[in-house]
Amino acid sequence: MERFIDLAVSAVLLAGLYATMAYGLGMIYGVLRVVNLAHGGVIMAGAYMGWVLHGRLGLDPYLSIPLVVGASYLLGVGMYKVLVRHLPRGAAGGPASLLLLFGFWLVLRNAAYLLFTGNDQSITTTWSTRSVALLGTHISATRLAVLGVGVLVPLGLHALLRHTHLGRAIRAVAQNPDSCTLVGVDVERIYTITFGLGTALAGLAGLLSATIFAFNPGSGSGELLKSFVVVVLGGLGSVLGTGIAALILAVVEVFAILVMPSYLTAAVGFIMLVLVLVIRPGGLFGHRVLG
Amino acid sequence: MLRARSLLPLALGLAGMIGAAAPPVKVGATLPLTGSEARIGGFFKEGYELAFEEVNKAGGLQVGGQKMNVSLTLLDDTSTQATAVSLADRLVNADKVDFLLGTYSSHLIEAQSTVAEQYKVPYINGGGGATKIFKRGFKYIFGTISPVELLGTTLMTWIDGQQKAGKLPRPAKIALLWENTAHGKDFRKGVSDHVAQSKGAYTIAVDESFALDGKDFGALLGKVKAAKVDLFLADAHLPDYITMHRQYVAMGLCHKVVSYGARGSEKGAIEALGRENVNYVLSGVWWSAQLAAKPGPSRDFVNAFKARYGGREPEWFQALAYQSAKTLFTAIQQAGKVDREAVRQKLAAMKQGSLLPGGTLEFPAAFGQQAQNPFVLQQNLPDSGAPIIYPPDVATGTGVAPNPNCGK
Amino acid sequence: MSRGFRPPAPPRLLLGYGIVVAGLAALPWFTELTVYSHNLMTLAFLSIAGALAWNWMGGFLGQVSFGHAAMFGVGGFVAARILLAGPVPAPLAWLAGGLAAGVFALGAHPTLRLRGPYFSIATIGMGEATRLLFTYWEDFTGGSSGLSLPIQTDMKHHLYWWGLGLVALVAAASWLIRHSALGLQLLAIKADVDAAADLGVSATFYQDLVFALSGAVVGVTGGMWASYFSFIEPNDMFGFDRSIAFVLMAVIGGVGTVLGPLLGAVVFVLLRQYLLASYPQLYLGLYGLLLIFIILFEPLGLTGLWLRLWRRLPWARAEA
Repeated sequence: MERFIDLAVSAVLLAGLYATMAYGLGMIYGVLRVVNLAHGGVIMAGAYMGWVLHGRLGLDPYLSIPLVVGASYLLGVGMYKVLVRHLPRGAAGGPASLLLLFGFWLVLRNAAYLLFTGNDQSITTTWSTRSVALLGTHISATRLAVLGVGVLVPLGLHALLRHTHLGRAIRAVAQNPDSCTLVGVDVERIYTITFGLGTALAGLAGLLSATIFAFNPGSGSGELLKSFVVVVLGGLGSVLGTGIAALILAVVEVFAILVMPSYLTAAVGFIMLVLVLVIRPGGLFGHRVLG
Repeated sequence: MLRARSLLPLALGLAGMIGAAAPPVKVGATLPLTGSEARIGGFFKEGYELAFEEVNKAGGLQVGGQKMNVSLTLLDDTSTQATAVSLADRLVNADKVDFLLGTYSSHLIEAQSTVAEQYKVPYINGGGGATKIFKRGFKYIFGTISPVELLGTTLMTWIDGQQKAGKLPRPAKIALLWENTAHGKDFRKGVSDHVAQSKGAYTIAVDESFALDGKDFGALLGKVKAAKVDLFLADAHLPDYITMHRQYVAMGLCHKVVSYGARGSEKGAIEALGRENVNYVLSGVWWSAQLAAKPGPSRDFVNAFKARYGGREPEWFQALAYQSAKTLFTAIQQAGKVDREAVRQKLAAMKQGSLLPGGTLEFPAAFGQQAQNPFVLQQNLPDSGAPIIYPPDVATGTGVAPNPNCGK
Repeated sequence: MSRGFRPPAPPRLLLGYGIVVAGLAALPWFTELTVYSHNLMTLAFLSIAGALAWNWMGGFLGQVSFGHAAMFGVGGFVAARILLAGPVPAPLAWLAGGLAAGVFALGAHPTLRLRGPYFSIATIGMGEATRLLFTYWEDFTGGSSGLSLPIQTDMKHHLYWWGLGLVALVAAASWLIRHSALGLQLLAIKADVDAAADLGVSATFYQDLVFALSGAVVGVTGGMWASYFSFIEPNDMFGFDRSIAFVLMAVIGGVGTVLGPLLGAVVFVLLRQYLLASYPQLYLGLYGLLLIFIILFEPLGLTGLWLRLWRRLPWARAEA
């Protein structure tokens, strides 16, 4: 029983991070129909931003959230304006956008290599190893904080999409960009903002995961694939869907150790990804759009 | 300006006269200077370069009646196997080096040494401890690094002593976690062979492997926690040690003996984990700077290293790299000519004083020309850093078991 | 669409093909190739064959695979296991590796109805899952400590001609596929799966076929790779970076063109070798930049660039 609670707690803690990671990817796909293959690279970049702010300026990673989010947003806006905007949209843009953003990912990886070498890094603060006793088990304080952010941020975004003018415009563009142009919505601007927001979320996810896990310039592919699983499972931009999907992924991953050797549990996410894609090929990303 | 220019040819001429008249002995090596093993690749580079500089400063090697300088061609294998192989190919066939020194980490060495064997070039390495490398019947590979298996055995021997003294329970339950690499498998074999021969003094309750560069060890540690073991014996590389132990501490785990194999006392780890969290961690290493407490090759090396690298203390990586290069030089001098076959024979027959624990270095054919020097065990202690606690003849401190942190 | 119609290759093309292949085959006898360049060319041949085969899937069918390392690894380990088991001629072992890889590729059947990004993402997942499973499967792959093959110096030397032979075959196959009814059907599937189905082109069948063929060729190169290196290890053979290399070579050379991937592979291997020795930390980023440049400005890659230059030349203009 104690073991079960331990595992369940780890799963819930992990789910918050997964939700944050995936939400940005889903948002960009939902509005622009572009699969951001550089998502993993941005997550890695976010981790390094937090690491630099902590190492050079001594800034606590949770205080540097606004800075990292802001910088990632600008990175996203840049990516959109310089790269993504010039792609053909729709089905024809599929492989091209994939390769383009993949190229950008390689550039990011290389830049990180040159700047920070290939060594593993992690953000360690005085409370990295603190823990809180709860439900008869020890819970890492950092992980609890990550869960908190992971719940609050998607909820905040949800509120933004629901209740602001900008949010309504984004949802409208997601549903039908052509008619939006007709009624005078600046679709390009909405695309730029959405790409920026999605990227900002990826940067945030990178910062959060850097406080728990080690990372290096090659990090990000696992995170990218996990984000896919969550988006595909949970539907597009639905906060509840993303949350549930993140929880499912985390639970399956964590509980897998009960039935298989620890080494193979890393494959569970990948296998789930393929299964989910194959089993739900039609409504891959769900039919609900940003609601 | 004018004067400087006119002095230049003179200076060059002098250097030529002072330096060896014969062309230098060309030695080639690749190291992981970028990629996942970059940090340690840098350590090996320091060791190699120190050895080469020392020889050249002393006027070169005495090879069959003439003084010869040594030159090192060092390339970056980016921690990937195919590159390590291609570059070794290049060193031998395009750069025409006479001898090879090894790169770092077992899988790169296993791949790269095939090139050395193929072109019959003596290949000395201090970075690939997996026994598998030396079980292929190769004749040109020599290892100054003792097998990881022996690390597991040494660790268990010390634990035996503590158990006999009544400080550890009998039977003791072990959690054995090993990275899924040749390194980890050797460690596992060392520990489990010892357990099998212990007549019930130990049981292995958890026996799990994990992937190198793992991200999340939560589930694995959960399993350890549920099994309620006494001894926590893991074998991990530095990044995994840091990630795993951080989670270990945060989960509130504590065991009577905690070890991560060769890791534990690294400065980087202490910084990342906090001094109080790594106390009483036990580690077995191939060499320790504390061996310099007594006069001998280790002390000479530590002094030379500190003088060259701004007072920094070397770790076992630099020591083994340095020893590998030195051993090659000795063999070349003994052979009296720059001849691959002659040097190979001298290496195979070598029995030489070294800075390694145990003092003598040889490459026994029965072990595929891998050195079999003992390990030294260190333990992080609250006030005295990480003294050597075993073997007794070189110990600088007394080991503590069971871990006093538990039950606080 | 007239089935079974296969235009014979124009004589000039055939002649050029013959001269190039024969010239390369004779090269080691006529020039003083150092052992190092000899070996480097062997590696280039293996890369070319892999890139050309990747292009059947990624270029002709438009299904960009980020998981071809899976077939490369399967081919390599099957061949290695056979070579370790007994005195089998190496080419037979490679062929068996290729067959196994082709069959393994059929296992991807369920994902083949996915199109575009979904397919690509599924291949990343499959590639990584395959890597982990095979690394864990110690009895077969030796786990993360890999497999060592007996060293044969002759073998490494002779692989030059085996590699060249494979390239010659695969290049000819690429040309034939492109200029046959099959090529047209693949194009139809690439342009619009549903419309192709309406015309009676079975997308699933052709995709299975092409994926298996492409996988088989990549598997053979994997087997040759094992013989070349005498040591293979699953994390390296099945690695994501290897899958990426196939994509980069084909796209940089000109995705979907007949010989573009060949060009791309040559540039990739040479640049890589040069950069690795002098600027090892730069090469991935440089490929990334090339990729971005190509997608934005010249979707046909180096081939497209070459065609553009060609058209500027006076005699080409006159010919047109």
